[in-house]
Amino acid sequence: MNWRKLRTFLLTALVLCLIPATRYYQIDVPLAGFLRGTQIDPLALHLAGEFVESNLGTEQDADGSVTVRMIAEQYLFIPHCIVVPAGVPVHLRVTSADAVHSLAINETNYKVEVLPGSIAEAQLEFPQPGEYAMPCREFCGAGHYAMRSRMQVVARDQFPALRTGERGNCAAQ
Amino acid sequence: MRRNSRFSLFANRRAWLASAIALSLVVASGLGSLLLQARDNPPDRVPSYVSWTPETIATASAGDAFRGMLLAKRCDHCHGAEGFSPSAATPNLAGMDTLAVFKQLEDFRTHKRLSRAMNPIAESLAPRDVADVAAYYAKVPVYADPQDNRAFPQSKPEHGHEAVALHLISFGDGERGIPPCQACHGPVAYRPGVPSLATQNADYVLTQLQAFANGSRANDINEPMRTIAALLTEDERHALAEYYGSGLGSASTTTSK
Repeated sequence: MNWRKLRTFLLTALVLCLIPATRYYQIDVPLAGFLRGTQIDPLALHLAGEFVESNLGTEQDADGSVTVRMIAEQYLFIPHCIVVPAGVPVHLRVTSADAVHSLAINETNYKVEVLPGSIAEAQLEFPQPGEYAMPCREFCGAGHYAMRSRMQVVARDQFPALRTGERGNCAAQ
Repeated sequence: MRRNSRFSLFANRRAWLASAIALSLVVASGLGSLLLQARDNPPDRVPSYVSWTPETIATASAGDAFRGMLLAKRCDHCHGAEGFSPSAATPNLAGMDTLAVFKQLEDFRTHKRLSRAMNPIAESLAPRDVADVAAYYAKVPVYADPQDNRAFPQSKPEHGHEAVALHLISFGDGERGIPPCQACHGPVAYRPGVPSLATQNADYVLTQLQAFANGSRANDINEPMRTIAALLTEDERHALAEYYGSGLGSASTTTSK
């Protein structure tokens, strides 16, 4: 192996090693987002795709876990109130329609950076039922301090049974 | 001759027939799977076809205000000759943001916002007309030459309503997660397509807040107004409408653009 081949190999290896690191540091690298499939157009969320309004909220997965999809925008999280069952893995998928936001769940260690253009993912689990405030913890503009939604954790048997394709949230209550 | 027919698709009838059958099978299976998919998943609800891409903003901002003035003669009867309506139930358009007029006319045209009066009017406008009318209303001065037949401003808010409205407009409600109105509707900050409310009529603001709250108006992109209007109490909706309709919201703003 000559030096030129070795150099190409090392550079390629270095770049490939950096891609998982972008996930840990939540750096928005176009290539990494493309490889993970987490790139999304923040201006067209409402037109088609995963974050259309009928697809937001809590979705029951086949294995008993739930998936929660939310949009962070100036100055609201949509849906405004989320209901999830306790003791079940919760897959959170959030994206931003405008600025950088940060979805924190008070009284827990969870805090998710939400960047426009990419889908932020987090795996949560709540052992006990309860209600948590979810404020925005990244300054996002004039109404930032009033940007706050709720996470309602209910006992597993009280969680409403969702049919396929049905989404749940507690905003109406 | 024989050599030619072997290589020409049109000359070889069997090859032509086989490829036509194969092609029609592919098309039929594609259509069939599309139809099945459409039957399985109900179509996504789209609140508005407008998306604030740089191209949309460029199109909406490229209007000719003089041409818009001529087109807007049709609007005078309800929205007033100087952009102030004779009726409080109809919105004032004087000084209205270009993108706000553009978006609402687009939504009326595509029936994403429903109105017996505005849907046929918006359908009759060409895309260029929409931008022109928007450019005209943005240039109409807000306070020049007040007429006798305008509904604005209306009487002062009821006792106690003024403080409630002022608090919601300036600070919102952090406990319930209601952002302050002025962070998007001005004068502190604006977002694309968001109208200024400083000189808006009370009845119009109230009917729109109620329509957002009960979902009969649903053309806000990513549901901000449906969420906020549903979080407000009926008393707060009245207070906000009265505050804006009485002209108190315009006290701190400059007179015209």
